[in-house]
Amino acid sequence: MNPPQNSDQEPQAAEVSQAVEHLFRHEAGKMVATLTRIFGLEHLTLAEDVVQEALARALQTWPFYGVPKHPAAWIMRTSRNLALDVVRRRTVFRQKEAQIVQLMERETPSLDEAVFPEQGITDDTLRMMFVCCHPLIPSEAQAALALKTLCGFGVPEISRAFLTTDAAIAKRLVRAKQKIRQAKIRFEIPVGEELGRRLDGVLQSLYLLFNEGYKASSGDRLVREDICQEAIRLTSLLVEHPAGNQPRTHALLALMLLDAARLPARVDGQGNLLLLKEQDRSFWDQAMLARGMFHLAQSAAGEEITVYHLQAGIAACHSAAKDYESTDWRQILSLYDQLVKLDRSPVVALNRAIVLANIHGPKAGLDAIGAIRDREVLNTYYLLHAVLGEFEARLQHTKAAARHFQKSLELAETRSEEQFLTKRLQACENQVRN
Amino acid sequence: MSTQTNNGYMLIFRGNEWYKGLSPEEMQRISGQWMAWYKRLSEQGKAVAGNPLEPEGKLVSGKNGRVVADGPFAESKEAIGGYFLLDVGSLDEAVAIAKDCPGLPYGAKIEVRAIAAVCPMSEEAHVRAEPALAKA
Repeated sequence: MNPPQNSDQEPQAAEVSQAVEHLFRHEAGKMVATLTRIFGLEHLTLAEDVVQEALARALQTWPFYGVPKHPAAWIMRTSRNLALDVVRRRTVFRQKEAQIVQLMERETPSLDEAVFPEQGITDDTLRMMFVCCHPLIPSEAQAALALKTLCGFGVPEISRAFLTTDAAIAKRLVRAKQKIRQAKIRFEIPVGEELGRRLDGVLQSLYLLFNEGYKASSGDRLVREDICQEAIRLTSLLVEHPAGNQPRTHALLALMLLDAARLPARVDGQGNLLLLKEQDRSFWDQAMLARGMFHLAQSAAGEEITVYHLQAGIAACHSAAKDYESTDWRQILSLYDQLVKLDRSPVVALNRAIVLANIHGPKAGLDAIGAIRDREVLNTYYLLHAVLGEFEARLQHTKAAARHFQKSLELAETRSEEQFLTKRLQACENQVRN
Repeated sequence: MSTQTNNGYMLIFRGNEWYKGLSPEEMQRISGQWMAWYKRLSEQGKAVAGNPLEPEGKLVSGKNGRVVADGPFAESKEAIGGYFLLDVGSLDEAVAIAKDCPGLPYGAKIEVRAIAAVCPMSEEAHVRAEPALAKA
């Protein structure tokens, strides 16, 4: 048998019997960013193809030789070699060839470190982040582009998460890339005043990405949780970088961590969604909660209070309560009172009404819902009707409650929601009968 | 061809296009499964050798090898990506092993072939050539 040609030469203690979780995904994201810098943003697709090929080589050889000692370095080296082939072969690179080859072949004792130093990779990832979250790219395309290029998701994985077709996602990606070319978006981390504005865009996109994963309403649950983890990973990179290390970035990261820490408790053994009230709090991820609290403290460094600060504060209140009954609803309400001033979304107002009802009773909750501006926007939202049903049920208006639960059931998107609402509906109907 | 003697079987992995559209996550998963599959077969003594092949090489043909082309093929269902050499008792068993290939759900194709048995005539030639070989 041939000697394994692909194992890493440099010896290191770490014995990898099995590659780390999501290794391919994360290396793909890093390498696409790095190769994009080298090739130029106009060749983003080529960078993706090269990385795809490098991973295919891993798939072809690792089964026979085992996981190399430094799997990430192996993927980098293979990507680099394939990239060099491409640069030599493609005429589009004729002008830049010498420069690119020199950049990639710069010989030093540790070849990979020299070409792709860790800090450089982070910079490239951030540059890519600013590209993906560029305000000129439509927000739904931003999420798809970020998942594809930064997180190494495949098109079918993205479409499964967004409950749409592969063709629709492919179209979004094509449009996003067209936009990048047309608008001559640059592969760079903005500086000065522009940085602040563009950072807001990045935070907003990462927030939406996280919510896309967090909302339990649709799509494949496991893929969605991966999206939450990816949003956290990217925000962590941002917060550790001078360009992104701002109180509002810490606030966003705190919010994500505090929410995501509750994910393990959110479904029961059968995959049914559990309400906060029903969750076994011992399943909450304590390490993640601690990280969240750390960043929440960091977020208080400045004067500014953003929606992320307020939402993180709300999440922190929930996390701090040892059980549902001891939740500090008044503190949460005061945060919601501030939040509704910054965020006019009727969904936020609906959540505020729920909190209000916890303090002042279901009637106050119903009144608050009645007072929501643009309430009609919520008419197609299952949660509005579920909440109305809940309030009416607590007021012993069983028939009205049943009507709301029925309506909510029609709008529910997931099996968990359906099962939950069916249970509530049956309880009401039983009461009416007795 | 005689099937009296069992010289083992070869699993030939064909196709270099089935994994093109896979996501990194899928590639990692299949890679891990494939690794475990090969390891298991090796530990059981069923797989005695196995190698992947580099995607590119040369194709030599013509009298005296006059034609040397780049090959085998850019992208093809037939291209050989690697092989296992199996030491198992029957074609059925080799086929049963091939059915466990983690690439199958994604379109991988496996050719299962018996290593040709030594036929009486070549055995005779072999015996005659032996003294000469011993000297070499």
